[in-house]
This record gives sequence, structure tokens and C-alpha cells, in this order.
Amino acid sequence: MPREAEPSLNERAFVVQALQEGLRIDGRALDQFRELDLKFGDQYGVADLTLGKTRIFAKVSAEVTTPYTDRPFDGIFTITTELSPMASPSFEVNRPTETEIMLSRLLEKTVRRSNALDTESLCLVSGQKCWSIRVDLHVLSHDGNLIDASCLAVVAALRHFRKPDTSIEGETLTIYTPAEREPVPLSWLHSPLCVTFSFFGEEADIVVMDANLLEEQLRVTSFTISFNKHGEICQGAKLGGTTVEAMTLIKCANDALDKVKELTTWLDLKLVEDSKRRDKGGLMAELSAENER
Amino acid sequence: MAITILKPLPPANTQNAATAYNSDSDSDGGVDLEGDVSMMATALSSKPSRHVGGKGYDQAIVTPGEIITEDSQWMRGHGTYTTPDPYAIVASVAGTLVKTNKLLSVRPLRARYTPEIGDLVIGRITEVQARRWRVDVGASLLAQLPLSAVNLPGGIQRRRTETDELQIRTFFSEGDLLVAEVQQLHNDGGAVLHTRSLKYGKLRNGLFLAVSGTGGGGGVVRARRQAFTLDAGRAANDKIDVVLGVNGYIWISKHVEGEGAAAESAGPGITRVEESVGLNVYSSQNDAIAPETMREIARVRGVVEALVQHGTRVDEDTVTRGYNEAVEMARGDGDGPDTLYLGGERGKRLVDALKGR
Amino acid sequence: MPLDTSSAYPLALLRVDGRRWNDLRRLHAAVRTQAAADGSAYLEMGNTKVMCTVTGPSEENKRRTAASTATGNTGGAGGGAGAGGAEVAVEIVVGGFSSVDRKRRGRGDKRIHELQTTLSKALAAALHTHLYPRSTIALSLHVLSQDGSLLAALLNASTLALVDAGIPMSDLPVACTAGLTSAASAADDPLVDLNAQEEQELPFLTLATLGDTDRVMVLVLETRVQAARLKDMVDLAADACKSVHKSLREVVRRRGEHMVEEGAVEKGASMAMDMDIDV
Repeated sequence: MPREAEPSLNERAFVVQALQEGLRIDGRALDQFRELDLKFGDQYGVADLTLGKTRIFAKVSAEVTTPYTDRPFDGIFTITTELSPMASPSFEVNRPTETEIMLSRLLEKTVRRSNALDTESLCLVSGQKCWSIRVDLHVLSHDGNLIDASCLAVVAALRHFRKPDTSIEGETLTIYTPAEREPVPLSWLHSPLCVTFSFFGEEADIVVMDANLLEEQLRVTSFTISFNKHGEICQGAKLGGTTVEAMTLIKCANDALDKVKELTTWLDLKLVEDSKRRDKGGLMAELSAENER
Repeated sequence: MAITILKPLPPANTQNAATAYNSDSDSDGGVDLEGDVSMMATALSSKPSRHVGGKGYDQAIVTPGEIITEDSQWMRGHGTYTTPDPYAIVASVAGTLVKTNKLLSVRPLRARYTPEIGDLVIGRITEVQARRWRVDVGASLLAQLPLSAVNLPGGIQRRRTETDELQIRTFFSEGDLLVAEVQQLHNDGGAVLHTRSLKYGKLRNGLFLAVSGTGGGGGVVRARRQAFTLDAGRAANDKIDVVLGVNGYIWISKHVEGEGAAAESAGPGITRVEESVGLNVYSSQNDAIAPETMREIARVRGVVEALVQHGTRVDEDTVTRGYNEAVEMARGDGDGPDTLYLGGERGKRLVDALKGR
Repeated sequence: MPLDTSSAYPLALLRVDGRRWNDLRRLHAAVRTQAAADGSAYLEMGNTKVMCTVTGPSEENKRRTAASTATGNTGGAGGGAGAGGAEVAVEIVVGGFSSVDRKRRGRGDKRIHELQTTLSKALAAALHTHLYPRSTIALSLHVLSQDGSLLAALLNASTLALVDAGIPMSDLPVACTAGLTSAASAADDPLVDLNAQEEQELPFLTLATLGDTDRVMVLVLETRVQAARLKDMVDLAADACKSVHKSLREVVRRRGEHMVEEGAVEKGASMAMDMDIDV
């Protein structure tokens, strides 16, 4: 298994020393994210997010299945992550690395366990038919901060997604094609987003947001916290590493909330932009079709 | 203690005794009765008088993270680390404090074996490489035994040839036990062994016993003599060799004249190497051992295990006396002299009898 | 009527198992439970029972390391200190009989994997791994009974076993959980050391600190909670960790004193006495 090349000692010293002076190697402020860009696909539920050189692709799909027997009233909601060798040679297919497991656990805790998606609304006929919503997450390029980027991509894709409309008359369940009825959005309760803090220095007193790959390799520990814009923490994880003052963590939580509010506003804006684009496109298509006739 | 009830914040001490153990209590004690450094002499005879009540032990055990002193005149030794601001020497292992002049170190209650030059160790070959063996001696790293550090059969000192390299498995192969001496230490703590003496080499005609958790004081201790011969009672020619490896590995075997680890006492060691390195040195065949001898070997093993179980150190003195005591016990209590069992009550009686002296 | 954590508490200010908000459960621990291991410990926090054995530091056979899938590698994750130091490999086995409903957990369980990685990273930061280059410290943890605060119990047991193995560390890593009686209102009490029922119904976090300082090693929060309540929970958990720290140290100390009494270890020198002479 090819291992990720470790940064040299000099590199390490340089980066950390610069951070002690309050400087980052790419010139950002300590709490500044890299440039974010989000593109939605032509289909519903496709999001392509870039954060600096990190690029994440998320696709949501839905199908009708039978619910789990122990949860007859709930739909099925899964998030699968895939870190292919495309992102970094140290990732292998079919052999989850620690990064991958941690990533999928964090998404699971942030999005699924916090009930961002109302799974009860996915139930069609109790105990017999329900929607199974599946998010496939592909990391196309890995340059650090996979967690924040992935979480943003997943939430964006899910909020963008429209599932086919259904109706029940007596015993018969009808699923309409998009041509028959406009697809409907998921019953979305809140949008949890992650912010990861990386800590540097012997005492872990330098706090950095949105670390790139090099910084991630050099950090002494990290703390990921998820918020929604209502100020609820959905998840917090500092899994080992150098110890950090409790007060620093509390402060991080406050900073994270501000950041999450900022990101949520940005995401809302992007979604509105996209729906406008779609509306316009839809109208145009109709017009052109008429003209041809 | 059922459910511990805490007072509101900040929680008060849960154990009333706990107040005596504040981490910065090194200045408020002063009750120590025998804090003199001479207590660290070895041997069972100097074991501390048995205090019950523990008042005198308040300062005896330090735990990791506990500040030993904030006085900068002391130097830190093993088992401690320093914090720069404010200056303090802090324990990093649980154990007892040792002072050597101005050097403060903590002797751990138990730790893996740390090799030191000159240690007599017993090891097991785990890996055979081109020009060396890798030997498990119970340390944090495998020890090395270079081909150039063993005596080659053939009687004379000679150059190591390629033939020897090809035949490396005929000397020691995986799983073989050997007794050796630590010749050299690497920076990372790894040991290099040698067996260039008549008393070292492959082990046969006996049994292996590992005493876990040595190096920290219990179990085998470094002593003047690590290998010795016991007179196994009844038959005068029936003798048992015991090799106590400093690393906690023990070998108990039938005594063969002019051979084996205990032969150091029998005659000049290294000088006679040339003549003595016979064919037997690397033999993997046991000699014929009489059932009586086997029984006595098993008895020695029982003694060592009883000593370890009851927290007594293992050295020549305790093993010899323990063995004699065990023979007496077996004879005395009517089960017949062949009784080897030394577990449970019998083991306790044996150790008590030893301590009683 | 079955007791419910949030409805019963406001009435009597007692929790489902009769504790008050700041009561820890009975913490019972023993070190050196297995003679053959380099270090071992058994720990109970109420009905959560775990066993830990430590092997090493020893030079791990490379092939074997690759074969065991469940090791938490600290290689790069430990940061600067991790380079060139010992690797801390943690393996957790959750007994199928450990909880009320028997559940078979496969090796590939991500939750277990996360616990392993968390423990391994946390311990690697506390231990002086640089003293043992090229070696592996292997911890094997067995969960015998689960009743909440699992991560905390696992970490505390690991700490004791590592102390028993005589591996140097900066301070004892200790952990405890803290929760809130209900997520919604801002006025209710935080709780310490949650049991399984409370963990299911209430928001809670697991906090691990290094010794009795306020430095946080691990913070795991998996339930939704108002941001303003985080501080209360962290504060309370940190205080609970101090109590746990005291108990664990007591366990180690008692074991040591026992050994001194038996004569297995020579009695140590005292600091206090000599200081007087010097002064």
C-alpha cells in the first residue's frame, strides 16, 4: 500500500513557525476558508463542491424498497463515502482507510443521527413500502478538510434533491414520473454543517480553520464540531491527540457557530440561484419546443 | 462503598483518605520514618519491616503525573520528566522514588526488561537473517546476535566463512533458546548479544520458565551470580543447573559436567573456549534424563513460581533455600517426598518459611 | 409505569437509578488481573465492565501487524511527537453478551473502529512513546458489560493497564461523561456519569482529560444540544474527571503499597525528609 509521503522536518518547522507568527503558507487568515464553489448538476441531487483544491462530488438517488422490519414507519437513509485512488494514491479500493471510516462516521453522526432528514416522511405504506434515499459521496481530489467539504456537499445535494411525487388511493400506490407531476423536495428539518479546527504548537494553542493537506499532516490534533443555524450542536468530536484547554474548545464552538451561519447563508443563496436557473431553463425549453412545431 | 455521593461543585474528595495524597504533598509530609537512601540495598534480608497502617508509606508510591519536587537542584532520571514552567520534576511511571546523589528517578512497580551491558539473559530466536539472529529477550525491541559473536564449532578461533553463513540455521534456528550476555546497546535501546564464552550458548536438557513483569524490582534481580548449580538432594551426583536471566526468563536443567551455564564456577571460562567448544554446543538433542532428575527440575520450577506468586524476589539465595525448604516440606507432611505441588497454601507456607528467617 | 429519565427527575431530583445529579457510579478497579500480560486492569463504572491487557512495548512482527485489521495506527496522526515513537495499537472486542439484547458485532463495525482510533490517538499523546522507537504497544480491550459511558470506561481501564505495564506517561488520562436532563430548556441540571438508559434519552458528551488539569484529550458529543449548554457539560465532565483521576490514582497507589509491604519492591526514598536536611 503506497503510503502518503510525510512532510520533511524542515517543512514541518517552517509551517509551524509561520503559524506561530500568525501566518499561513497560503496567505489566508487563521479562520479563513479557502475559496468555495458549488455547482449543481442538471439532475436533481447532484452537487459538485470545490474547496480550494479539494473537490467533492455528491449524488442523491431514491428508490422504493421495503423498510427494515424493526422500523416499519421509517424510510431508509444511507450515506456511502468512497475515497478512491483518484483522490490520493494512499487510498485503496475496497479497503477503507482510517480517514474514510472517520469521515463516514462523522457524516453519519452529523447528518443522520441529528435527524436532519425526517425519515418518517419517507414511509409510503407502513411496513411494506418506503423510500430509500442514498447519498453517494466521491472524493475527487483531496487537499485537506475533507470533513467540512463533504458535509457541505452532502447537505447541498440533499437539499437540492427532488424525489418523485407519490399518491395513495386506497391500496394503490402511484409514483409519478417527472413529466406527470413535478418532483417534490425531501422533508428537510435542519442543515447541520461541520467546521473542523486544527491545532498547532506544543500546547495546541494555535487554532486554524479549514486546514489544507499539509497542515492536516502537521497538526497535533483536531476538533470537528457540527452546528445548524439555530445554534444547536449536532455533534462534536475531538478524537485523541494533544490535549487542548477546555476554554479553547468552548471558544472554538462559538467561532464555529458564526462560520456555520455564514456557510448556511451561502448555501441558501446557491440553492436559490440554481432554482432560478432551472425555472428559466424550463421555460426556455418549452418555448423552443413550441417553435419547432 | 456503594454509590458515592458527591457534594455540589466542586466535588469534594470521595475517599477521606485521599486528602493525604495530594499531588503537591511532597512538602507537607515529613512523617516518613525510614526515608534514607540506604534502603535500596538489594537482597531479601533488607526487605522493609512490615508496616501495617501505611502511615509510613504515604510518600512511598508515586503515580504518573505526580510532582516529585519543584526544587531545581535535583536532576531527573528514569521514570520522570520535567516541566519547564514552573520547573518541576514529575513522575511518569508508578513506582518508588530512588535518589542517587542529586539524581531523582522512579523505579517502576513493573516494567518490561531494559537491557544493560553485561546482563546475562535468556532469549529465544525469533528470526534468522543472513548474518545474524534476532532474539526475543522480553525487551521492547528484539535483540541481535551477530554470527560473529558466537563460538563456532571446530575448536579453534577462525574466520567466519560463507559456509558458516549458509549453515546459520545449524547453530541456532527459530525457536531455539539460548543464554547470552548483552555486549552492546544501540541508541534506541536495542541490545546486541554475544555467546563467546563457555557458559553461554544453546540451552537443552531442561525447561523454560518466564517470570512476567520483571525489571521493576520483583522477579529476577541483578545479582552477583545469575547461574548456579543446585544439589538435588538424594543422589549425590544429581545436580540441577538454574540460570536466572535478568530479563525474567529462567532455565532449569539437568547438570552436565563441564558444560552449561553454571560451568563458570567449574573452571576457567573464556581461556578454555578453544578446547571446549565441542560438537555438543549446538546440539538439539537432549541427553537421557532420569525421572528423578526431572522431578527435581519440576520442583525447582514450582519453587520459582511460588516465589513469584507471593511477590518475593528470585535470586540464588531464595531459590536454593526455597528448594531445600520444599524438599523438607514434601518429606514432612506425609504426602511423600515425591509431592511436587507448590501452589495455593503450600506455596504460601513455603514463602512464609523463607521470610521467617 | 416504567421510569423515564426526563419525567422523573424534576419531581424528586433523583435519577432513574437513584443517584443525584453529581453522583458518580461505583468505580471499582483492579490492576494486574492477568499474570501473563505485561500490564492488565479490570474496571467497573457501575454496570459497565471492561478488561484491558497491554502487551509491549515490543517489536511487532510486520506481517502480523498487517494481518490484524483492527489496529489504530498513530503514524502520522500523532503529529510531531508521533514520528519515530512507539505505535499504539488498540483492539476492542465487545462481547455479544455485554448488552441487554444480544447483538453480534462484526469486525468491520465502524463504531468500534472509531473507538479504537480515538483511544489509540488519545493514549499515544499521553504516553512517552518516543522512548520506544520501532516498537508497538498493543492494548486489547474486552467489553464484558455495557451500561453507558463505554468510551470513558475503556479509556480509564487502558490507563490503569498502561500504568501497570510501567509505560511512562505525562499524566493519567481519565474520562467521564456528562449530560443534560433535557435538551430543550436552559434551566435544568447537568448530570455526570450517565448509564445506558440516560445515554439513550438525553444529550451527553464524553470528555477525557489529562490528569486533573482542564486540558481536554477527547471530547465526543453525538447528540443535539443547545450551544449554550456545551460549557456547562464540559465543566461538569472535567470536574468528574478529577474525581475519577483521584480514584484511579488511589488504585495504583494501593497496589504499589501492597507490593512494598510484600517486599517485592524496595521501599522508596522520601522527598520530604531529605529536603529538610538540605535546607
